[in-house]
Amino acid sequence: MMWRIWRVMAAGGHMGRAMLLAVVVLLAGAGLLVLSGWFISATALAGLAGAGGMFDVFRPAASIRGLALLRTTSRYGERWLGHDATLRGVAALRLMVLGGLARAPWRQLQRQRRGAALAQVVADTDTLDALPLRVVMPLVAGLIAIVAVGGLIGWLAGGVMALWIAGTHLGGAIAAGLWGARRGPRTAAQELAARAAFGRYTLDLIAARDDLAIHGRLPHQLAQAMQAEARVAEMAALQDLDERDAALILDLTRAATMGGALALGAMGVESGAFGPAIAGACFFAALALGEATAPLRRMVTEYGRIRDAAQRVGPMLEIPAPQGTAQTGAVLPLTIGDLTLGAGQVLAVSGPSGAGKTTLLERIAGLGPDAEPPIRLGGIRPTDWDEGELRARLTMVPQRPALIAGTLRDNLALAAPVAEDAELLAALQAVRLDHLRGGLDLWLKDGGAGLSGGEQRRLALARAILRQPQLLILDEPTEGLDAATARAVLAGIRQALPQAAIVLASHRPSDLQGADFRMELS
Amino acid sequence: MEQDGAERGAARRLLAPEARALRLAALLSVIAHLCWLPMAGCAAWVLAGLVEGRGVSLGVILGFVACGLARGGLNHLAEGVAQRAALGAVTRLRGELLQVVSGRAVLPRAGALALVAGDQAAAIVPYAVRYGMGFARAAVVPLVILLCAFAVSWAAGLILLLTGPVIPVFMALVGHAAGRASRAQFQEMSSLGALLADRVAALPDIRLLGAGQRLRDEFGRAAEALRARTMQVLGIAFLSSTVLELFAALGVAIMAVFCGFSLLGHFGFGMWGAPLSVGQALFLLMIAPEFYQPLRDLAAAWHDRASADAAAALIAQEMAEAPAMPGLGAPAVPLAVGGIALRGLRHRGIAYPDLDLRAGEALVLTGPSGSGKSTLLRLLAGLEAPEAGQVLVAGQALDAQNADAWRAGLGWMPQAVHFLDASLEENLRMGRAGDLDAALRSAAADHLPEGLPEGQATRLGERGAGLSGGEARRLTLARALYGAPGWILADEPTADLDAGTAERVAQGLLAAHRGGAGLIVATHDPALIAAIGREYRLGAP
Repeated sequence: MMWRIWRVMAAGGHMGRAMLLAVVVLLAGAGLLVLSGWFISATALAGLAGAGGMFDVFRPAASIRGLALLRTTSRYGERWLGHDATLRGVAALRLMVLGGLARAPWRQLQRQRRGAALAQVVADTDTLDALPLRVVMPLVAGLIAIVAVGGLIGWLAGGVMALWIAGTHLGGAIAAGLWGARRGPRTAAQELAARAAFGRYTLDLIAARDDLAIHGRLPHQLAQAMQAEARVAEMAALQDLDERDAALILDLTRAATMGGALALGAMGVESGAFGPAIAGACFFAALALGEATAPLRRMVTEYGRIRDAAQRVGPMLEIPAPQGTAQTGAVLPLTIGDLTLGAGQVLAVSGPSGAGKTTLLERIAGLGPDAEPPIRLGGIRPTDWDEGELRARLTMVPQRPALIAGTLRDNLALAAPVAEDAELLAALQAVRLDHLRGGLDLWLKDGGAGLSGGEQRRLALARAILRQPQLLILDEPTEGLDAATARAVLAGIRQALPQAAIVLASHRPSDLQGADFRMELS
Repeated sequence: MEQDGAERGAARRLLAPEARALRLAALLSVIAHLCWLPMAGCAAWVLAGLVEGRGVSLGVILGFVACGLARGGLNHLAEGVAQRAALGAVTRLRGELLQVVSGRAVLPRAGALALVAGDQAAAIVPYAVRYGMGFARAAVVPLVILLCAFAVSWAAGLILLLTGPVIPVFMALVGHAAGRASRAQFQEMSSLGALLADRVAALPDIRLLGAGQRLRDEFGRAAEALRARTMQVLGIAFLSSTVLELFAALGVAIMAVFCGFSLLGHFGFGMWGAPLSVGQALFLLMIAPEFYQPLRDLAAAWHDRASADAAAALIAQEMAEAPAMPGLGAPAVPLAVGGIALRGLRHRGIAYPDLDLRAGEALVLTGPSGSGKSTLLRLLAGLEAPEAGQVLVAGQALDAQNADAWRAGLGWMPQAVHFLDASLEENLRMGRAGDLDAALRSAAADHLPEGLPEGQATRLGERGAGLSGGEARRLTLARALYGAPGWILADEPTADLDAGTAERVAQGLLAAHRGGAGLIVATHDPALIAAIGREYRLGAP
């Protein structure tokens, strides 16, 4: 899952360049310390030997300054490229998620829309920006730096010293990582759940306070919220403990590595394997590599959060595309069993709640599984239609339509991106929504807030009219409208779309009058 | 970061009860970082011994490792102490905040408050942990290292002294501009997140309208434009930290070169007497980076304080003095059923005519929108205390002492119900005892639970888990009828309903009244006004 997400985010090659610079940063930092350590030991030896005048000071001194500059500039480049690549990656990921969600089975989408599940997926794509920045890049760069510096030490001071310094750093890093991975993902998921619960209880406490107070439930609700809070704090403390433990493991490893490097250096000098300047260089190399493993500390908890997010985002990327491919012809006539509905005709579907009116409409719209009675659109099974072609010919207005934040014009443009204002106004007039103050520029907040329920429904109907469908499917189009408005709206729709076949489900007897066909579900 | 005077220090004031623990954590953290001095001394002594050809004692190496272990352990401990104090503070703040705000007469917007109690309060933690310890380290560690450097060589001390202060100065200069830019940036970023969330919520409709590809194109363009702008801002921020790093790196490089030249005998200045020894040189080289590090840590944690202060100011604002709701909203034994009377009642600019109702009587409150019908219902329920005059219930003045008991005998039907994130059954019972099936029957809602995925156990959320407006209203009626209350207070019970549902709701209320319950209904509905008969008319505001 993580691999799949990484591939989406890393597509384009920007990550690779950032990673390269991250390696340069670490190596330049190590080089700076190693060279400085060597320089001081070597100059001291030369000074003691009275050969100070012979010592070439300028090349090492210039190299030290050069490495300092290289380190800072490559650091700048690494951060710039890394963040740039990550922003591109997150955008690509969000587009993939959006595409996947658009293909998701209809019922699943309907169900999730209301809950927090979708909002969570959106938040998860944000969490995943830590995958390249805080996990993959530091991990790969750190590994390369340890191996490269280990190689340098091996060349300078032999295999034992190299194995000790690179081996303990790697070992410490692995130990810290394993310690964090032990329960990190579980803690992260539980913390997230607890935070969400606290948010919901708090929201309920304030939004339903009057109801709670009247029923004597205020202390109970408060206690529930604070119980969730205690759980948040508990999980946060656990995460922090894991993070500190990882830091402790890394700190202890570093102290042991450097101490060992000193001891091995002393032994090497005594046995004549290498000079004191090399011993100094090795000690400073051990010190410098601490920077390569430092990001692991954050990584252990970050990884938990990332894995948790990846588990929710991943499936969104793998939702298969609809199978239908039929592209030609008209969706009319619509046949449902023996019934045949042609252009300009109306089918009214009625029946009590739960009789399956919505399910039938969804099946006609190609959103539900095939079942009895058989449904054909222009002779073709709805699910066999190509999605785009079908939507171009058939429009359904669900029982609870959704609007978007933006102007009325933005909302209508979803249906007709290039329509003139006159067309948009005509559609609004058809549903008796031309009286709204602000007209097309009226601003709606999230989900269409600012309009009443009946106005929202009528705006959705206007949207459907703009699609100019051959077949219009309406699920309870007049709920929440008074009888006069309901009649006017249905008449307006008919007038705007004289040739369209209309399938309409309703509880309201007056809506069903004048239909060419009736279908009573029980 | 720019902050106005009221915000500055707000987070510190909120953390006053944790001040001791945080001071201890800061102290431990400073000691941990000072451990580097003996470590550097031991390492320099060992390496110098190798250069000068005297032996190396194992004890010194062990001393080095021991100090390293102590450093790790102290850090672990310090952060633990700070973290525990910070989490405790957040819990305390959230508890106080919810307690105070939920006891208000008039409530803030729930979503905004949930945000303050959730994310904003959590902003205290990084401030208490990272900034608090970082500040202490930045105040002490560089000074100690500077003294050590001066003790060895005045020139080395001078190198640190001259390059060090540049860092905070630059930090302030660049941080100021970058902070402003990044805040603007952050707002834009969260608005893109909001855009995505909004569009995702509308995805089913977007699919039905065949607008999926267009939506993705739109979003792709918005994301690309945001990336370009973000990188401009980040460019500034990165540049500022690069400058800091450059000064630190150059400081270390100058130190290394100074030491090397001194050891070679090229430089004869900078010492207090004896020439620089190799051990002293290595020691200086090792402590130099630690001189800059605390300053850079503090720079990185700088915005923690700004966000914590902003959060603390928000919390303080939410907790500011405001009229409280009488009573606790706690369970209580209901008052004996009795009459209701209003005497000289005046609240929020509206004078309410006096009124006398006997137990079991019915009344409609009428008047234009804004004339105070809903407010009167809240006054009658004891949710607000009147500014002047009295509400008398069962012969006693309604006050903080008897409000809970009075409310325990009320059925309450708000205009827009907010269902709790709990099962339908819990939402209806609300902890009271009674015959739920009978209440559902009286509200013509006995078949509703069957239509829900898990019947009465279905969890309802903010939007009522797919209940229509009429269904939600009938369930609210069932809740008001449940437990046979002595009085039922209903606010616009039939508004926005189709004729059939409105009729059923009205019948449910009237049946309860016939069964003996007193009934007070605020409404515009002519049918309901006619059915109840007795009218209490409120004027224009």
